[in-house]
Amino acid sequence: MELDVRGLSCPIPLMRTKKALEADPDQLTVLADSGTAKTNVVNLLKDSGYVVEVAEEPGGYRISARRG
Amino acid sequence: MATKRRVGPSAWILGGAGVAIGVIAAWLVSQGNPGNMGLCIACFLRDTAGFFIGPAANMGAVAYIRPEIVGLMLGATLAALATKEFRPRGGSATAVRFLLGFVFMVAALVFLGCTVRAWLRLGGGDLNALWGILGIVAGVSVGVLALRRGFDLGRAGSVPRAMGWIAPLVAVVLLVLSVVTALSGPPNGFTVTTANALATGDDPPAVFVKGADGAPADVVKPAGGTVGAHGSIIASDGSVAASAASVAAAKPQPGGKRAPLLISLAAGLAIGVIAQRSRFCSVGGIRDALLVKRFDLLFGVLGLLLGAFVANVALGQFHLGFEGQPIAHTDALGNFAAMAVAGLAAVLLGGCPFRQVIMSAEGDADAFAAVVGMVAGAVASHYFGIASTAKGLSSLGWPALAAGAALLVVIAFARRGQTA
Repeated sequence: MELDVRGLSCPIPLMRTKKALEADPDQLTVLADSGTAKTNVVNLLKDSGYVVEVAEEPGGYRISARRG
Repeated sequence: MATKRRVGPSAWILGGAGVAIGVIAAWLVSQGNPGNMGLCIACFLRDTAGFFIGPAANMGAVAYIRPEIVGLMLGATLAALATKEFRPRGGSATAVRFLLGFVFMVAALVFLGCTVRAWLRLGGGDLNALWGILGIVAGVSVGVLALRRGFDLGRAGSVPRAMGWIAPLVAVVLLVLSVVTALSGPPNGFTVTTANALATGDDPPAVFVKGADGAPADVVKPAGGTVGAHGSIIASDGSVAASAASVAAAKPQPGGKRAPLLISLAAGLAIGVIAQRSRFCSVGGIRDALLVKRFDLLFGVLGLLLGAFVANVALGQFHLGFEGQPIAHTDALGNFAAMAVAGLAAVLLGGCPFRQVIMSAEGDADAFAAVVGMVAGAVASHYFGIASTAKGLSSLGWPALAAGAALLVVIAFARRGQTA
């Protein structure tokens, strides 16, 4: 499952990610383009028990989460 | 999900950032900034606007490029560049953001401080700020309702690199003007409130600076005025501009109270770096707690309050009460309503004015539009006499709040589902 929150203002990236987590996915990829959105999304995923990896891309960050 | 935390490790980072900002802000007051105004985005943007506009918008008493603002922006830009987070972006309802910034500022100047200063005022013992903070919670609650209904200003995209550099460039220009002014006075056409100037309550007020003995020494206004017998101020035509009693009751002009340039600048730089790295936000904590039941950001403002409180007590600046608080009034309902409007505007912007300044320094042209809106709001507030004084709300305070609230509600509930 892939979620694109690039360009969205706070707190919409967080809301969208939280909504995606309601389905309790085994893995989730979130695309973010600001440092703030990246940090907020990574924190939420970690706090929800996921193992998170962040890769920098030309357009921002690819945040990959899988259930820990 | 096996484990689920609502307060993560970032709460410590945000709490620590809040404490540090609170301590630095309280220390700036001890260095000469106005009471409980070590850091106030609304006040400082307003003062900076006053430097350019001056008496033309009744801003002679609030005219000074606040080096804290310059430092904040440059500190945030440097931190963003160092961590590769500087990213020119924009195009998300830029004009609406200008309007939101405008309304935020008008409301903040009715309260007399932004959503950061509300916490700093409380940390200095100003209990009027409690009404303001309750107002922030109320305004944020309305914003949360709008977000739940799908409020969204739309996606920002990449913009030409130059657009992202506008805010840092403005900061550099302000820095140059600050240094020139400190060395040789304001260039022609610009205004700086005389350092440590006091103004009487007369209409028009007499403005003077005290000498070492505490008596009026130099008369700034009226031009050509002199100090008369018993400490009155005499105009050049020989009439009494201010009686001795009125001179004795004179109050400092906010723009004339300031820490030394280098101290303000260094403090601003430090706060800019801290804010950029920590993502500290003065309304986001309440918003996230209500909206997504996450509490990390809330530790930021709680830290701010704690840091300011402890530092103010340590520096002997803590004065508990409602009456006689620095640059504050005691209109409870006015304080509540003004911060409710400001809090809602901040949520709709996606972050408090402090965050808007930091984000603009990270290359966010939309955040810069909000900052420009705030500056325009400050000029309008003073030009039309909307801003409150220590005596309370002006006659235009309530109408302005009502108009601002109406505009915000329309924006909050009309702009929905802009993005997939």
